Amino acid sequence: MQGCQTGNKVGRQVALALSLLTPLALGCQGMNNTPIYFASPEPILTVTGMNDAMGNPPRIENGMTLQFRNPTDAEKKALDMQTAALGFAAPWIQRDHVHIELTYQVTYTPLPGQGPDDDPNDIPQFTIGIDGANEYTKYNSNIVAMTLAQGKDAPQYIPLIPVTPQTLAQGQTVSGTVREDDFNEAELDLDAMGRWMAPFNAVLINNSQVNPIGLSMVPANVVIPALIEIDVSFTANRNMTCTYDIRVRDDNGQLLHDTTNTLFSPTPTLFVPPAMM
Amino acid sequence: MAALVTSWLVAGASAARAQVTAEPSAVVFPDPAKFAHGLYTEGEVGAVAFFGKAGNDVSPGFAIGARVGYDLFRWLALQLHFVGSTHQLTGDNPLNGQLLQTYQALVEGKLTYRFGQTSIFGEGGIGVERLSTNALYALGVEPKYRVGFVAGGGGGLDYHSLSRHFSVGVRGGFFVMAELTSSQELMATTYLRYTF
Repeated sequence: MQGCQTGNKVGRQVALALSLLTPLALGCQGMNNTPIYFASPEPILTVTGMNDAMGNPPRIENGMTLQFRNPTDAEKKALDMQTAALGFAAPWIQRDHVHIELTYQVTYTPLPGQGPDDDPNDIPQFTIGIDGANEYTKYNSNIVAMTLAQGKDAPQYIPLIPVTPQTLAQGQTVSGTVREDDFNEAELDLDAMGRWMAPFNAVLINNSQVNPIGLSMVPANVVIPALIEIDVSFTANRNMTCTYDIRVRDDNGQLLHDTTNTLFSPTPTLFVPPAMM
Repeated sequence: MAALVTSWLVAGASAARAQVTAEPSAVVFPDPAKFAHGLYTEGEVGAVAFFGKAGNDVSPGFAIGARVGYDLFRWLALQLHFVGSTHQLTGDNPLNGQLLQTYQALVEGKLTYRFGQTSIFGEGGIGVERLSTNALYALGVEPKYRVGFVAGGGGGLDYHSLSRHFSVGVRGGFFVMAELTSSQELMATTYLRYTF
């Protein structure tokens, strides 16, 4: 009888201890959703604001390729099964499991001797554009701009993700975020262009959630590949620098770490607008 | 005859002494000997702040933790300590505003000196710490490690309630992380303890 009472007491003690520890355990659930950051490559994006010989504003680019591992045998088998079920190729790096965000910071440092920016027709501003590639298709807005250029017209760049131009005062620094849902839209657009014959200008200009024009060929059950390469272009009409970091939430641990895994190295096809083909 | 009686009284009577009545000894209330000891748990909330290089880019953050321990003696205990804290990145960098969490698990020893309901204590231990992201590495602040050994200690003040089980207190501690070679952290928490 006494042993039974002792057992009950210990049970109550353990229950109370667990109840005290439960909030902490729940808090640690965040460990399952931890992003990984990649700093922008060197050299950082810097422009002086001086137009080029053709009179176009300065534009500079850099980018990075995210390194993923190859699938294991079990993952390859699951991928094959998914491909068979879908009726078309299931990508290894999927948008549902790899979530990308980009944070940037732009600083306007006036050149020595530069006066105040008091011309209302020449406001200091910058533009950021983001291109990239998934495992099937690579999109480069320079190629598209060449297609759209008519004669000596200034090139019109249509990036996968345009960042709204922003104005800056001298010495000012601004930060911004290109969110995961922006990347989601870009990943859908790129897949639509690359695999499903969507007109590039229609899908890039329109937000699919507002106007899904051009997406009629995309299967309803499509599994969208995530970007594996991110290219950033920076344009400014003053002396400005842009630094950025890319934030990746890798649900299934597909990023290549320091292990014995081998590098996943697809060869995406460069998207060429129909007019140039 | 009178002289005889007088001499008898002087020589034979015992010395008269005044009666001394001491005040009753004060009852120790509450009696610390009746405080529960043995297995105990603690829940704590407070703040963690980084110092060193990381201190420039990581703001102080909210911390929540727990301890499970056992009083080997009334003055010596062994305990397991779990604590997590969340921080916001600051500074002149693109990651400004991003969140960073730390998780720590330590094995600690604790020495206590009690006087009445109040006690002071010192404690220290070693364990592991994990950062939720590689943000400090991306900022160029620290190496790419996200998991490493942590060691440190501190002290605090405990006040026992009239219940034999509950006490509350405040504590502070200073910790170094082996892989964050140029950063340290200071932890200050208040806690509620239940001794079974």
